[in-house]
Amino acid sequence: MGIDRRTFIQLVTGGVVGSLFTPVIWKSLDDASIWSQNWPWIPRLKYGTITEQASVAKFGAAPCAEIVKSVGGSPYLTRGNAENEMSKGGVDPVSASGPQLMYSLSRVNGPMKKTAEGKYESISWEEAEKVLSEKLAAVKGKKGKLAVVSGDTTGTATEVLSGFAAGMGAECYLMPSEEQGAAVALSSMGGKGQIGYDLENSDFVLFVGADAMDSWGSVVRNQCVYSESRPTGEEIKTTYIYAGPFQNSTAAAADRWVPVAPGTGAIFCLGLAYHMLKAGASSSASDFADFKTLVMSRFSPDKVEKATGVAGTEMAAIAKRIMKSSAPVVVAGSEFAQGAGAADVIAASAVNMLLGRINKEGGMKILPELPKAVEAAAGRSELAAKDFVGYLAGIASGKVAAPAVMMSYEANPIYALPQNTALAQAVEKSGFLVSFSTYMDETASEADLIMPNPTCYERFEDAQTPYGVGAAMLAASAPVAEPLYNSKPTVDVVLGVASVLGIDLGYESADEVYQAKAEKAGADWDSLIEGAAYVSDSTESGSIKFAASVLSKAVTMPKGGEIALAPYSKLIIGTPTVAIPPLNVVAISKFELMGKDLMVQVNSKTAKKLGVSEGSKVKLAGAGGECAVRIHINEGVMNDVIAAPLGFGHTAWDAYSSGKGENISKLLTVGTESGTGISVWTSSFVSIA
Amino acid sequence: MQQMEFDTKWTMVVDVDKCTGCGACMVSCQAENNIAPMKEGSNKLKTLTWMLVYELNNGKEFPNREVAYLPRPCMQCGHPACVPVCPVVATTKDEEGGIVSQIYPRCIGCRYCMAACPYHARYFGWLDPVWPGGMDKALSPSTSTRPRGVVEKCNFCHSRLLDARQRARAEGMDPNKLPDGWYQPACLESCPTGAISFGDAKNPEHKVHELIKNPNAFRILESIGMEPQVYYISRRDWVREQSDNVAPGSHAENHAAEGKH
Repeated sequence: MGIDRRTFIQLVTGGVVGSLFTPVIWKSLDDASIWSQNWPWIPRLKYGTITEQASVAKFGAAPCAEIVKSVGGSPYLTRGNAENEMSKGGVDPVSASGPQLMYSLSRVNGPMKKTAEGKYESISWEEAEKVLSEKLAAVKGKKGKLAVVSGDTTGTATEVLSGFAAGMGAECYLMPSEEQGAAVALSSMGGKGQIGYDLENSDFVLFVGADAMDSWGSVVRNQCVYSESRPTGEEIKTTYIYAGPFQNSTAAAADRWVPVAPGTGAIFCLGLAYHMLKAGASSSASDFADFKTLVMSRFSPDKVEKATGVAGTEMAAIAKRIMKSSAPVVVAGSEFAQGAGAADVIAASAVNMLLGRINKEGGMKILPELPKAVEAAAGRSELAAKDFVGYLAGIASGKVAAPAVMMSYEANPIYALPQNTALAQAVEKSGFLVSFSTYMDETASEADLIMPNPTCYERFEDAQTPYGVGAAMLAASAPVAEPLYNSKPTVDVVLGVASVLGIDLGYESADEVYQAKAEKAGADWDSLIEGAAYVSDSTESGSIKFAASVLSKAVTMPKGGEIALAPYSKLIIGTPTVAIPPLNVVAISKFELMGKDLMVQVNSKTAKKLGVSEGSKVKLAGAGGECAVRIHINEGVMNDVIAAPLGFGHTAWDAYSSGKGENISKLLTVGTESGTGISVWTSSFVSIA
Repeated sequence: MQQMEFDTKWTMVVDVDKCTGCGACMVSCQAENNIAPMKEGSNKLKTLTWMLVYELNNGKEFPNREVAYLPRPCMQCGHPACVPVCPVVATTKDEEGGIVSQIYPRCIGCRYCMAACPYHARYFGWLDPVWPGGMDKALSPSTSTRPRGVVEKCNFCHSRLLDARQRARAEGMDPNKLPDGWYQPACLESCPTGAISFGDAKNPEHKVHELIKNPNAFRILESIGMEPQVYYISRRDWVREQSDNVAPGSHAENHAAEGKH
């Protein structure tokens, strides 16, 4: 039987009708829509009681008092603790990522030791402490055989480490920070204590170099103080001026940006002093005459303009504006919170002295150090003044013997030190490197023994008088979560090892140490851990001098004619201790990181001079190394200056930070400040190829 | 287009002059709203940034360059362009307070709303969201997770509004007349410079009621008539001038001038 027309139509009709009734087509479409949006793993939200607890976060560069929200015991969100004077509300972008950093992929899960093959194997805490005790017993009392470095400038944990180092006959250092230059500056000026600035009561704030909104001092507190002085929709109460080479966050927020060449903050301040002295400013300090002679002879407007790029008329106008203000203050620091030396702070202090603003409301304060909890520890300013970079430079050059044991706490020296290539090698020369890092950072990755410290959410923690704040203060916190991994507070480890080695630090546990610190400071422990800060209103008595003889040696005019490097530090990119947090990756500007390429910034005039354009790939070469980067044209950078962000170029950590961009620390050139002898690295120059 | 009007108008006012561009708001937004971390962040076409801080400049060369930072959430428009184009009614503006909703399970990922939104405030999930190695333990209980293939956006942390209403009910108050400060989005809570203000613009007891009348207050692209519920304040002329791109003397410019407070 053949297929006729009727049969064909019947077949087609039957097929169409049949297909409408069969579920196959509809099921296939349904499945296709499901499969096309198939999610291999669906996370489940955790439900439970939502709790809030005050904490002191140490993830950022400065301690941040915050309220941590947890669900069923797991932290998931933070907000600023406005009741705490230490940071006055708000959180920085690293602390905002705190809960995610607690669950970071880079956490070290437990103690580990490096095997002969260079791999890590997990060991028990007993074994780890035994290994550490044996290594330390071999070097006890032997000078130069043990070095301890801490990246926590505010915690009593560092006092414990310092006391332990003293008991071992060893040195304890701090990682580079603004505090080092300030401590040396105050000591050079004949003062004791710690320099602070009463920004909240000032009506005119001049930041010289110091990037107060992103890296200088207690950033969140600075931001909150700035905010209080200009309520939304109302009149501005305090004028802010920023003087620096690059239009950073502070320059953007300030009422005016004054472009000043990198590393010339002291010259700028002394240039202001020239106009003030000319206008009749005076001081009762013992070396005023020497200071006046120095300034009038060496910092005339033409010389200052040549060095800083600021015209004499502009300097005169700024000086006049400051002198007209009722409560002005001048704050100097490095544009990237390290390496400025003492001269900048001495020079800014000199301006504050000419204005009569020392220990005055809204002026520069000289704060007392809180009493020590550990008697054997070095005082805060004594510890801050020690030069870790200088020590490592000595090892790198072979002038100083490398230690047999180096202990690193809350620090990542192999990544974060200036002139990184050489100084990281100096750290690696240590006979036995012990890292107490919470994370598998660059230093932990090279360590012989890793003894992980829990995060600040899982341990007791405290913070005393962050550098820059205008009053001595103390904050503390109790754990907000159960320990996630097999970590142990470093203070407990050190106290245990000290006991084995016969060193009595006076305490048996970390919380005892913190409570004793609070008691000695006169603070109420319960109030501290509930979220309040203890604040002292006392200042150090006694006068300070201009340290004219130090300034005379330390401040030298730059040679000029080269391309200067202006590094900057942004919290969104992390800190010297914490690499880019996972949630911060998308918030990084495409003008700073494009794919894996680091973007550095020059203005169009400099670009033309260098023969580069937007997106050009170039190689920057400094005294310490080279970096391959791309160019971004930004008119917010001074002529003959390349602005470059720190915080990239990690080689350890995790996929959120590793292998992205270059570590600009490689390009920083370490020198020695005449007059004080400390290491400085704010004047680095680069060549381009 | 008909404008939806409610007795409550949740409104954000951002003081552009106080924003330092630190990015804490962007981080808190992701934590509160369960936006998964991304390993690659510089392809901004694929990132999910419900709150995004833009960098503005005055266009001048050194040394006259000025910079400002402008945080941009969803504008919760009075005349939302995204709502009428959605073929499956996955986005609506029908709740007291004027927040434009986004119903993820209903979204079919066609992205018409993204094309319609003049503020680029909507994001399409191109990639599977992944919280590796136990990071899902830090998920917020406030916001559901979304698969790839749907559109998502800022909702002024809507679950916080529900919490605040619940609190008001528990305390015997009118849940639609919340006191100032009871309902605050995560970005505001984390902002260290207090650049973000938030409240009911129709409630005279709320600070934003007065702030939106400030002579320096403006909205972005007012000329196109979306009536956003996000205002900005800046003393700087060049910042305000960049809020719209209308030709001088055009009909749109006249419309914008009429609509300004």
